[in-house]
Amino acid sequence: MWKTKATKGMLAAVLAAALAVTLTSCEKKNSSQINLAMEEEVPERVVLLFVPMEKSNPDDENAARTAHDKTVAMAEERLGVTVEYRTYTAENYQERTYDEVLVDRARNNMDDFYLMNPDSIQLLGAEGKLADLSGLDVVENLRDVVKVANTVNGKLVAIPQEVVAYGLFVNKDMFDKYQLALPETPEELLECCRVFKENGIETPIGANRWWLENFVFAIGFADLYNGNNTEAEIQAINSGEAKLSDYMRPGFEFLQELIDKGYIDAETAYVSEAIEGEGPDFLAQKTPIVMAYWGAANADTAYGKADFNMQVIGFPSSRGQMPVVPITGFGVSAEAEHLDDTLKVLEVLLSDEALQIYTETNKVISPSKNIQVDCIDALKPLNDRVNEGVYVLGSNASLKVEQWSNVCLVVRELLAGATVDECMARFDQLQEESLEK
Amino acid sequence: MMNKEQKQTIQGRRIALLLPVLLIFCILGGVVYTVSAKIQREMSASAVSNLTESLDLIKGTIEAVLGKEAEFQKMIARELSVIDDPDTFIRTYNRNRTMVRLSLVPEGETEGVSNVGEVFSARELDFSAGKTVADLPVSQSYVNSMGTWAYTIQCPVEKDGREIATFYAEYAYTSFEETLPGRFYNNNALLYIMDTSSQRLVLNPRGIGERDAGHVNLEDFYRANRIMAPEIQEEVARNIREGKNVLFYHDIRNKDSLIFMWAVNDGSLYLIGHVPVEAVQQEGRTVNQNILLVVAVMLLAFGFCCVLYFGNERQQGRIRREREREREIHSRQLAEALQAAQVANTSKTMFLSNMSHDIRTPMNAILGFTTLLARDADNPVKVREYTKKITASGQHLLSLINDVLDVSKIESGKVVLTIGEFSLSSMIASVDAIIRPMARARGQSFEVTVTGVKHEELVGDETRLNQILINLLSNSVKYTQEGGRIWLRIIGLEQRSRQYEHIRIEVEDNGYGMTPEYLKVIFDAFTRAENSTTNKVQGTGLGMAITKNIVELMGGTITVTSQVGEGSLFRVELELRTADGKAREQFWKDHGVSRILAVDDDQDILESIRMLMENTGVRVDTCTGGEEAADMVRTAVSAEDGYDAVLLDLEMPKTGGIETARQIRPMLPEHVPILILTACDWDGLEDTASHVGINGFLSKPFFVSAFKEKILEVQAEAGREEPAGEAGDGSLEGCRFLVAEDNEINAEILSELLDLEGASCEILENGKLVLDRFAQGQPGEFDAILMDVQMPVMNGYEAARAIRSLDREDAGTIPIIAMTANAFAEDVKDAMDAGMNAHVSKPIDMALLKQTVRKYL
Repeated sequence: MWKTKATKGMLAAVLAAALAVTLTSCEKKNSSQINLAMEEEVPERVVLLFVPMEKSNPDDENAARTAHDKTVAMAEERLGVTVEYRTYTAENYQERTYDEVLVDRARNNMDDFYLMNPDSIQLLGAEGKLADLSGLDVVENLRDVVKVANTVNGKLVAIPQEVVAYGLFVNKDMFDKYQLALPETPEELLECCRVFKENGIETPIGANRWWLENFVFAIGFADLYNGNNTEAEIQAINSGEAKLSDYMRPGFEFLQELIDKGYIDAETAYVSEAIEGEGPDFLAQKTPIVMAYWGAANADTAYGKADFNMQVIGFPSSRGQMPVVPITGFGVSAEAEHLDDTLKVLEVLLSDEALQIYTETNKVISPSKNIQVDCIDALKPLNDRVNEGVYVLGSNASLKVEQWSNVCLVVRELLAGATVDECMARFDQLQEESLEK
Repeated sequence: MMNKEQKQTIQGRRIALLLPVLLIFCILGGVVYTVSAKIQREMSASAVSNLTESLDLIKGTIEAVLGKEAEFQKMIARELSVIDDPDTFIRTYNRNRTMVRLSLVPEGETEGVSNVGEVFSARELDFSAGKTVADLPVSQSYVNSMGTWAYTIQCPVEKDGREIATFYAEYAYTSFEETLPGRFYNNNALLYIMDTSSQRLVLNPRGIGERDAGHVNLEDFYRANRIMAPEIQEEVARNIREGKNVLFYHDIRNKDSLIFMWAVNDGSLYLIGHVPVEAVQQEGRTVNQNILLVVAVMLLAFGFCCVLYFGNERQQGRIRREREREREIHSRQLAEALQAAQVANTSKTMFLSNMSHDIRTPMNAILGFTTLLARDADNPVKVREYTKKITASGQHLLSLINDVLDVSKIESGKVVLTIGEFSLSSMIASVDAIIRPMARARGQSFEVTVTGVKHEELVGDETRLNQILINLLSNSVKYTQEGGRIWLRIIGLEQRSRQYEHIRIEVEDNGYGMTPEYLKVIFDAFTRAENSTTNKVQGTGLGMAITKNIVELMGGTITVTSQVGEGSLFRVELELRTADGKAREQFWKDHGVSRILAVDDDQDILESIRMLMENTGVRVDTCTGGEEAADMVRTAVSAEDGYDAVLLDLEMPKTGGIETARQIRPMLPEHVPILILTACDWDGLEDTASHVGINGFLSKPFFVSAFKEKILEVQAEAGREEPAGEAGDGSLEGCRFLVAEDNEINAEILSELLDLEGASCEILENGKLVLDRFAQGQPGEFDAILMDVQMPVMNGYEAARAIRSLDREDAGTIPIIAMTANAFAEDVKDAMDAGMNAHVSKPIDMALLKQTVRKYL
């Protein structure tokens, strides 16, 4: 009946398999175990991480967060620990900010480590709330700028996964349309704004309550960081020989002019969160200029999919386009409940291997001097300047007066209607307070 | 072949079988689907119930915690009411992560003390929502000084029934982390705590993936999970306002999920989150998977059974078809056999009729002439004439009988070929000797040609080959009108193996020819072409059947083409093994022939001579004219490399063979033979030839064997006296035979024949008598025993064996000669096996008998 031996063999195999399945199913009996209660699981090793988090938008993938999550997953896998996230996001500008909540939590030792902005680093570092990370193996890979910016009282208190550079995001098509060159100096920017304004663009510069300070840093510190006397000048500010307000004044006056001439809508900026306020108009090509951090230009992020020729340039200064680099970073609570595991996690998160993944995913400047990644075309002008070593720091822990937060707050006062002199007086007061410490 | 109706019936049966199967499947599928859906529903209901229970449990836990906190606060309040310095108690109370801040505000004041060292103002807190725990007011949630979401419970401090202060305790939501389930649906579910009045999410799940889940407030939760339908949001808002639980299905990241919003503490807090339905219905899914697995296994098993069934059906069908086919073949074979039997019967009836006729005709002659013989016994001339005719008729009868016996043997597969070496030339010569007179008698020309044959000495059954040629040629003679032409061509074909000569024998005539119908049956036994022209021809109708069988027995083929009135052509192709050539080569060396000259105007003949002489070691020079021949002889003689023999065609243009011989004879030594090669009769030329120095004649076609014989003959004539013939007749004078013969007539004939030869005999009727007679006789009383085989009492073989086994000296030596009508080779062998010395078949040929007897005496 069956033609070949192969067919017979196959039949036999099928029957044998069926028999085996039948026997196996018959063989399996109920477990002989009497006590069916499940054993209590071994407590997980956890480390608590407090990180900022934007409001949800299910349509967006956050490249930075994806990059960060990849490195966290690597650490969890390597170390067998769980990194538990805690976060806080203000519902509106009236609520406490992430940085404020972070400082409270750090002071109360609520978490093991934090992703901190420069001001928090400086504040908590100065308070001794942050552990010294200089003993980590990964430190030897770091760029000097990272170590300089985050060293407080001789302790390296924070290390970032990326070096954030802020710049002006400009709609090059609109500049071309009005035959405008990209501005190098504050005066050139004013001229551009004038032309835009005359051509019916109501607010040439889109702003929020956070990032206008970059103009101040670029204009005020261009010479300090790019001259040959950086350390001496910083020392002079720290000692009170030089007035911080003298550095701040040109930038504030410039901002005041922008406000006065209507190139910035101060009222809107005062209540706008970053990107939320100015972003839509920029993408809709109603605003030719906004300011943002490096990563916002990458694909799948805020300005990653612009429909026009977007360029990211430095802020205008006497030394030309100037990137502003505030060094953020992970800081570890000095009294962290899981200090050992946290340091181990950081060793993984900041290892060259992890940073390579992070940098490639997020297309940013790596804090490790061993890692170079090509950036997208739009970022090339900014990247070129950073690679040339031309930039100003947005934060510097060696300056006694914390800048990143303070300048931001004082700019808000300017936005709220304070005069430049009042703002300078505030800086003088801050400098005096720092001298008293 | 299966007809259409059968196919339709089978298809109909299959459809009839398939329909209930499909129906069963549909029912089975319906049952499985229903059961599966029922299980799914039940499990869903169970899952909803299970989720509800879980959420109720969590809700209960949170409310219990809140209740405990309230109780604790009341207890502290009572304590505060009795101690002397409540402010110090508050200030010194150590805070912890659960209870972050304790504050006390004296009655009538807006600020008070707290354990965190700062001045506490109740205005910082919002109790406007009016929610309570154990009757104690609970504030709206806020981010406290530790950066964590917290709430404060307000408790009055009463002393002597009078409220003296208000006691506030701040609790962090993180304290609930300890009480919430660690693994909510195996971490597939997300669980938040929402402050109802502010709709802020005050306790979030932790871990990487949860960051996408919407962590800020209800609006963020909606946005993250795309719960954007206004009617859903409105429904949820209404339920939340009323402090009711909400549970609904929604797609969360392409997963069907259950969204829950569970009121805690009369709706001051809500447990919100979602869980994928598949996580809730895990068991249901497993059950369904198992059901599907069982169904799949059943289907497989059923399919397997179907395969077996249909396989078996197909097999049965095939067997049935094969049987039908076999039956049909058998029927056809039976019909054919019947037809064949009928044809055979008809043929045999016809054959018997023919036989009757053919036997009666010579028998009539024999009986008639014996009557005449009796009448004219005194007239010796007539007696001789009559006996001559009687003999002829007898011979014809004998050939008839021989043919019948041959056919019988061939048909029973008993023919055995007697393989031996033979010479093609001698075979052709013998055939020629038989056929040429027959043809001449009918005025027909008979031409024999041999071309392309490389080996003349072959191995095969010469007798049977002779039989083939004679059958074919005698038929041609018979079926060709007087004055017609007959050709015999022996053609050497390309050899397939060096050891085999591939030859084609063609027998052609321009005689009556045959009809196409007759051609189809020409090789069948008992058939004979008959028409008005040929019915005069006598024959058994067996010749062609015998011929074909013999050819096939030799591994050859025979074909015939013919057209009525134009003649016939028979082609026989055979492969015959070549005989060892070394002996041939040796002959020429021994007789001093190394170079010959052949002269003929026909190039084909010259080529044939060259080819036939190829393996003899003899150089063959050829030329086509007498003058050229003379030149060549002259040249050869002068070069002292003369010819050892010269072959001359008799008839050549310009200079004929005789003339050429005349010219070259003087140039050749005397012992070198000059032979004339001719197809003509050389009677009358011998004297002339001898006169010019020709040594002999060779008939065309040229054969090496004939040439050799002639060389021998010539050399013998030249050098020696011919030896006295050994093969003399051998007289039987004085011999005495003991004869076993049961047939009286045969006995008498033998007795008379022996008497004629001067011999005497004693004839007995069977083997037993002969045995006894011999046993009783004196040694040497008989010279030989002539033994018939088929006899009553004891046959010839038994008698011979018995004689040989007798215990007397001459029992083993006395010649015993079988003399029987059993004339086949096997009969000869049987005779030899029985101990006889020789076999002579009946009818008795006295010459042969004499020869045989003399051999043993």
